[in-house]
Amino acid sequence: MTQYFIRRLLLIIPTFIGITILVFVITRFVPGGPIEQMIAEAQQASQQTGGGLNGAGIGASTLDAEQIRELEIYYGFDKPVLVSYWQWLSKVVQFDLGVSSRYSEPVWDTIKERLPISAFYGITTMLITYFISIPLGYWKAIKHNSHFDHVSSIVVFVGYAIPAYVVGIILLVIFASNLEWFPMGGFYSEDFEDLETPWEQAVDVFYHAVLPLMAYVAGSFAVMTFMMKNALMDNLAAEYVRTAIAKGIPFNQAVKHHALRNSLIPIATHFGNNISVIIGGSFLIEKIFNIDGLGLLGYESIVERDYPIVLGVLVISAILQLFGNILSDICVAVVDPRVQFR
Amino acid sequence: MSEPLLQVNHLATEFTTEHGIARALDDISFHINKGETLGLVGESGCGKSVTALSIMRLLPKPIGNIVGGEVLFNDQDLTQLPADEMHNIRGNRIAMVFQEPMTALNPVYKIGRQLIETLVLHEPEMTSSEIHQTSVNMLKRVGIPDPENRMYEYPHQLSGGMRQRVMIAIALLCKPDILIADEPTTALDVTIQAQILQLLQEIQQENGMAIIFITHDLGVIAQLCDRVVVMYAGRIIEQADIYALFDAPSHPYTQGLLKAIPGIDKPAKTPLSTITGMVPSLFNLPSGCRFQNRCPYTENRCIDSSPELDQVKNDHWVRCYRHKELTGAKI
Repeated sequence: MTQYFIRRLLLIIPTFIGITILVFVITRFVPGGPIEQMIAEAQQASQQTGGGLNGAGIGASTLDAEQIRELEIYYGFDKPVLVSYWQWLSKVVQFDLGVSSRYSEPVWDTIKERLPISAFYGITTMLITYFISIPLGYWKAIKHNSHFDHVSSIVVFVGYAIPAYVVGIILLVIFASNLEWFPMGGFYSEDFEDLETPWEQAVDVFYHAVLPLMAYVAGSFAVMTFMMKNALMDNLAAEYVRTAIAKGIPFNQAVKHHALRNSLIPIATHFGNNISVIIGGSFLIEKIFNIDGLGLLGYESIVERDYPIVLGVLVISAILQLFGNILSDICVAVVDPRVQFR
Repeated sequence: MSEPLLQVNHLATEFTTEHGIARALDDISFHINKGETLGLVGESGCGKSVTALSIMRLLPKPIGNIVGGEVLFNDQDLTQLPADEMHNIRGNRIAMVFQEPMTALNPVYKIGRQLIETLVLHEPEMTSSEIHQTSVNMLKRVGIPDPENRMYEYPHQLSGGMRQRVMIAIALLCKPDILIADEPTTALDVTIQAQILQLLQEIQQENGMAIIFITHDLGVIAQLCDRVVVMYAGRIIEQADIYALFDAPSHPYTQGLLKAIPGIDKPAKTPLSTITGMVPSLFNLPSGCRFQNRCPYTENRCIDSSPELDQVKNDHWVRCYRHKELTGAKI
């Protein structure tokens, strides 16, 4: 078992290199890279200063060949792809993800600022999802075909069918704009630093989090609830539950002590994957609620060709995904004794 | 003779399905005495298992329901018993062993836990070390080698035969008055089957419990049972002690079943005798005798009305109009 996990951990290294090489190479060939962006910016600047001048010749005149060459050296574009990849990688190993071309500050600092925000939403969403889905799926299975089952199915499916960002917009319009019960967005209030106790600060964060969390959760608990319901119904019909009842165990206890544990196996399989997906954040929801999370950062840096940030976000999400997979395996091994890793 | 241990009277069970109501059991009456082994035979779908599940009140809810009759045990009608009193009887006074040992044990719990559970439930005055010791002894009794260590293993680490022994051990823990064995050897290979049957016989001789043995294997019946109930399409069609049944079968169905056993004394390549036709669907039962479409002796009265169980001899009952001319007929 330990040996298996050591092997899995070691396998992270080649997988990680594979993922990053792929993206690194793509950044080289996609048009509109950082140098083109700078040329465009310089062009705009010169247009504004230069007045009515326009035409094809301006681009060349604003940044001369020498400057472009300097930029290429700065970004490592003067060397072959693999050489500059190697340079980048050796810096990553020392936790140096480079400097953002947009903010001109270390990528790692930018990510460090955003990661906790996305992680807060991700983990809270996941906890709420588990706390709703498992009991809801449980009751839906026990009360299969009852009114409760049908009505809750409708609610779950509606939540699943509407995209999360639409839910977010609807919530924003009703509860923030019309009723003014909740703030329009942001992670916390402007006077957050002035709040006196950590308790008040926590309340402030959660007050801002209510609507975005509802948008996150609305779409995410459908799959989990139905996975739980179906797994439990399968297990209720299993012979070992009948054996348990034949031993004299009351039905409710047979469900709790025998069927439930077996039903958690498929849920556990998903656990690790959820972690990585959820911490990444949804850039649409982050955009709507004006939350400076990792999702929004990744999206904006792609649009603006801020490659150091793109690669930095990729490093973080790839590592989370790879560890998430291993975590899934551990969870499954914990709940299902039949699973043995060699 | 003393009062029977368990008396089933006119039991009727129905299943409500998408296609309508299926009466899986119709007017089932039999009894079992202390220390006796009663065989319940019939082909798949005739109601053998449903009879067992009805006695145990383990019918799948809400589709399966007992709609008539009574099951008397210790002067109590089990069909009317409140749920919590039924919990005290199941696994304690009446225990059951199922057909599929591969799926009848919970895959995520250790063997020991699944044994101990029963004792904790029914023997509250036992200490935990007594419970552990009793469980280990029972595993040893059913022939599981190294029982102390097996307590800490999971079901998937045991073979099918071993798992069925564990199931039997669980069933026997509280020394039940009746053991219902629902095709306990069907899923096992023949040598294991013989071992399990022998084990059941030995234990029965030791503690004098009654066994209701459900099977479609007449060979097993002949080896194990004192009396036999033959079922067909939800009804009892013949009931007799083991010798009467094999020597002088009275119902054409029973005769057909016995004829269909391949014999070692027959010349080689003798075509195997079969009962032609199909069992009628429970949704579309004929009004008269339920065996009419397959019976070589069908008359008009068999189609018009259903025969009642008629006494052939002392304890030998048969549901056939023509049993007098057919009983023991050379077949």
